[in-house]
Amino acid sequence: MDKTTVRMQQIALQTLANGEVDVILGWKKGDEWYDSYPVVINDINETAELIWDAFCVNNLSKYLITELKKNLRIGVFLKGCDSLAFNQLVIDNRIDSERVVIFGLPCPGMIDPQKVKHAGLNKGLLKVERTGDKIVFITKEGVKEYIGRSFDYDKCLNCRCPNPVVSKYMLSDAVTRTDEEQYFPDVTEIEKMPLEARYDYWTKQFSKCIKCYACRNICPLCSCETCVFDNIAAGVSSKADADCEQQFFHIIRAYHVAGRCVDCGECSRVCPVGIPLEKLNRKIIKDINQLYGDYTADTDIAKSPPLGTYKVDDFDPFDGSKQGGKK
Amino acid sequence: MPRIGAFVCWCGTNIAGTVDIEQVVQAVSEMSGIVYVKDYQYMCSEVGQNLVKTAIKEWQLERVIIASCSPRMHENTFRKAAKAAGLNPYLVEVANIREHCSWVHKNKEEATKKAIALIRAAVAKASLNTELIAKEIDVENRALVIGGGIAGIQTALDIAEAGYQVDVIEKSPSIGGKMAQIDKTFPTLDCSACILTPKMVDVASHPNINLYTYSEIESVNGFVGNFEVTIKQKARSVNLEKCTGCGICTEKCPSRKSKSEFDEGLRTRGAIYTPFPQAVPNVPVIDREHCLKFNTGKCGICEKLCPAGAIEFGQEDVLVTKKYGAVVVATGFDIIDLDKFGEYQYQNHPDVLTSLEFERLTNAAGPTAGKFIRPSNNKRPEKVVFIQCVGSRDVSSRGKSYCSKICCMYTAKQAMLIKDKYPDIEVYVFYIDVRTPGKNFDEFQRRAVEEYGVNYIKGMVGKIFPAGDKLIVHGVDSFTGDTLKIEADMVVLAAAAQAKPDAEVLGRKLAISTDTNNFFTEAHPKLRPVETHSAGIYLAGACQGPKDIPETVAQAGAAAAKVIGLLSKRKLVSNPCVSVVNEDLCNGCLSCLKICPYDAIAAKELATNNHGITSKRIVAKVNEALCQGCGGCTVACRPGAIDLKGFTNKQITAEVDALCH
Repeated sequence: MDKTTVRMQQIALQTLANGEVDVILGWKKGDEWYDSYPVVINDINETAELIWDAFCVNNLSKYLITELKKNLRIGVFLKGCDSLAFNQLVIDNRIDSERVVIFGLPCPGMIDPQKVKHAGLNKGLLKVERTGDKIVFITKEGVKEYIGRSFDYDKCLNCRCPNPVVSKYMLSDAVTRTDEEQYFPDVTEIEKMPLEARYDYWTKQFSKCIKCYACRNICPLCSCETCVFDNIAAGVSSKADADCEQQFFHIIRAYHVAGRCVDCGECSRVCPVGIPLEKLNRKIIKDINQLYGDYTADTDIAKSPPLGTYKVDDFDPFDGSKQGGKK
Repeated sequence: MPRIGAFVCWCGTNIAGTVDIEQVVQAVSEMSGIVYVKDYQYMCSEVGQNLVKTAIKEWQLERVIIASCSPRMHENTFRKAAKAAGLNPYLVEVANIREHCSWVHKNKEEATKKAIALIRAAVAKASLNTELIAKEIDVENRALVIGGGIAGIQTALDIAEAGYQVDVIEKSPSIGGKMAQIDKTFPTLDCSACILTPKMVDVASHPNINLYTYSEIESVNGFVGNFEVTIKQKARSVNLEKCTGCGICTEKCPSRKSKSEFDEGLRTRGAIYTPFPQAVPNVPVIDREHCLKFNTGKCGICEKLCPAGAIEFGQEDVLVTKKYGAVVVATGFDIIDLDKFGEYQYQNHPDVLTSLEFERLTNAAGPTAGKFIRPSNNKRPEKVVFIQCVGSRDVSSRGKSYCSKICCMYTAKQAMLIKDKYPDIEVYVFYIDVRTPGKNFDEFQRRAVEEYGVNYIKGMVGKIFPAGDKLIVHGVDSFTGDTLKIEADMVVLAAAAQAKPDAEVLGRKLAISTDTNNFFTEAHPKLRPVETHSAGIYLAGACQGPKDIPETVAQAGAAAAKVIGLLSKRKLVSNPCVSVVNEDLCNGCLSCLKICPYDAIAAKELATNNHGITSKRIVAKVNEALCQGCGGCTVACRPGAIDLKGFTNKQITAEVDALCH
């Protein structure tokens, strides 16, 4: 068994048994090779079913909001990106970090089942194992080995935070990224388009939206008690199948997570029609960095979020003497 | 749908000249909910207001739309009219078809369309208006005056005379300001000290006035009637109560390197010093930067010699927080730095002076005891050149685009004073225009030319070259086109007046605005010249723009009158347009709390029951007394849990929808 999985099961058993936590939030293996799903367990006998593999993509921090309402102490497994979301939820007062014990999981990247399928490797596939950049495909016929990151989710290829920024117990050694990551290449590409082409691009993308709200539901920071889009009285948006309604939804959502988005890329991952939603968020992150100095959301909860605070020397586009606005 | 009446004002030709009233009335009468439309030449007049009152009663109007000027102008007028007719005043909605429409457009057809659209938006919003009830708030019967120059002094005296408590806060060790530095005052040539110092004494001795000298504003909270101001009293190192002002310490202080601020650097002072002999309070202060005791630990001579035992090296800055009903800003002005005006040699030559340095040089209490001599060689000058508009009316980036207003008069005064005492000295004045539009001002300037023979030259100076012990002034006489070369012994620069460098920071603390030149902005240039846009905060003197003494004193009196009017009220009516939190929707993220400029939002813990399990969660809570209705919180709230009464998200959306109709 994978070393980290062993460690995971041990720590779950230990903390449940000694009463440090009441429940554990982790992942279990489903029927399929790509299926690792989130579970809440409180029975020490179930700890042996916990798993860590290349498909534990779901961010468990969002589940804390509901689970903590039961007044329990919770142990939770968090990857790098998940830990950023955890911090933001603490900043937003959505969770009480005092009642949470974090088990940190340095993450080498998660595998995109679609990429495996496109490579034709899914036939007879039983299991996928990953150690660092080495990926082993175990099939009925035998074993195939690959080196490299060609099966990683796109979002993992752009990962800026593979190691948890907060944890009580770290379950493995920190992951070191050797490849020099390029920041926001996807955003730069869109920025280069002429205005009209850009508008057309997004109009086309948003027109695909079926308003299933999967992006909102998976987003760790879309955590409102009642989402403004579910509140008919707010009158912000309706379910009408009109281009403008879909545009409203996505643009308002992008602004609601602006300055808080941790760039986990889950919105794009779950979109059933393939809208590259993370590009909207990444554009805002890039602009924030440019206008208000380098700010990586939630690596440090003591740092004030630039869009939620006012400083005398803030960038002011209405002051003609500084940059910004139409030149 | 409520019954809505609309009243369209012509505002003489202000609106009717650009907007087709007949067409507007026709279009409005067809809008849904409208049961009555009336137009009139001046709706704000008594006749116009009566039209509104009568219609409310006769047509049982439930909402009133006034299509007229900006709500800043007359919203209150019409709210009062509605109230008199028995309608809740917050059911009145103003469509601004003057400032937002007729004044900014020329094309009548387009402007008419826009006026109709603006009224349509107002109708949409008004339909969603609800009755709001204003509450009453207490008024703290004390005023704060920021700045102890002539503006602050006059304001404080006037308020105190009316029987109210006033605190005056002054940054420097003494009150008096710029006026205390000046020798004589135009147009009557009274000695400045003779008319100012008695007032300074009055301030110090008035039972209703409390002085905070050597103090600064740390923070300002609260709102009209209830400001809470924290004052930082900087460590003076001398006990104000014990000190008798004998002056032994200032005489014996061995450190003599510091330049006297009061004498514009023309002489030095000790590290323990009183800015000038008539200072109020007449208590010295230790300049810790230059004090030997503070720098080396040795010395302490002042402490040893002080017969009153008033020296306290261990003093620390003290923060005092007090409540005030009203605040008057009277922080004054400065003259610009002349670094960027290298052609005048100000930095390089001791005989090139600013006008303020000149005041000290001719002052009987100044560094030369009033003896008019050149700083370079202590000899009397034979030729003096004055240069006006140094940095004033200068659109380049080094200068100020505005006219500094006071320089023409004080230059004439200074030139005249030289000629009066020393008729043999030749005096030249280079000017762009002579601007003397005050009572007896023009006569004054003409006397300088006609009686005293001051040579006025219309033209600017290109450069000054020091040559030997002379200053060669190269200028142009723009009437004749001749280039002039004057061998002067002294040059006096009328440097532009500018806002205090910290005006913007103070403005931010007080939530009042500054203009592009950092002078504080009045609420209305004509009708509310001493008020700011923040209720309960008033302006006096040159912090609002360059002013001479007569104007400053007049404005100080006006500001005092406003303060007295405010403090004389026992209760104020609060603005009912405040934020309200829907606790069911609130996530407790407290983004609203972080951005609230009035500290009107706090966190509140709420117990919630979820399937029998009680847990706690945080929600935001608005303090209605503190909320000023700015609406900042409503846009920071993601789930839309916080809304502003009178300007709800739904009302705003309805307006936008109506405009896009």
